[in-house]
Amino acid sequence: MKSIRYVDALNDHYTAMGNPPYRWTVNESAPLHRLDKPLAECTVSLLTSGGVSQCSRPAFNADARNDHRLDAIDRDVNATDFQIHDSYYDHSDADNDINCIFPVERLRELAALGEIGKVSDRLWSGFMGRIYNRSKVLEESGPAFAAALREDGVDILLAAPS
Amino acid sequence: MGLVCRLLEEHGIATVYVATGRDLTALVKPPRALFVNHPMGNNFGRAGDTATQTDIVRAALAMIDSAERGGELIDYPTTWSEKFSFAPGGKAIAATS
Repeated sequence: MKSIRYVDALNDHYTAMGNPPYRWTVNESAPLHRLDKPLAECTVSLLTSGGVSQCSRPAFNADARNDHRLDAIDRDVNATDFQIHDSYYDHSDADNDINCIFPVERLRELAALGEIGKVSDRLWSGFMGRIYNRSKVLEESGPAFAAALREDGVDILLAAPS
Repeated sequence: MGLVCRLLEEHGIATVYVATGRDLTALVKPPRALFVNHPMGNNFGRAGDTATQTDIVRAALAMIDSAERGGELIDYPTTWSEKFSFAPGGKAIAATS
């Protein structure tokens, strides 16, 4: 099937929810950092923006706006130790198998097979949608995240938006 | 999150963005993006379908070496087998084919 036109659908949905019109970012080009070592030597981390938290932590606000919360998740986390709170997508499959949006078990398997070097000590959940104050991402939460990834020696981030 | 990926790339961290929204991704232009035509919430496939989950992770990681310029967007070859819609808070599967 054809891909869904989310820009139109989300504009309608945000307006119906009483949110101000969303100003979509439009970029004409993008940076690219090339790695100088093979995948089998790289440390890989994961990021989900799907309202995913460990059961012992507070739930994400399912209707959040401008939520810059970012949770660190231990690499060896039990894949059933998650709760999902986000009212903007259907997470019924991910409720049963977190790997649908946050493939922590698959990544650990690839590390065991030697296809990647290792999974980073910390994995990440945050940067939920509907962030209107983008300057805060560029000046605060984004650079803080970059520093945390560097601290863990991360070469590659696999990012899955929801 | 595409904005975050762009920023990380400038900080020396390579990123791959596994997206279910093709039009949104094309606007934001993260450095490397794999578009998977699945319902939002199924970026890596269905619950329990470990083979597809692994294949999508591998396809995404392959872009680390294959991408030749920033903003590259590749379509994952297999699509969802049922019709689906955008259904915030509800079921994304609208009808079976």
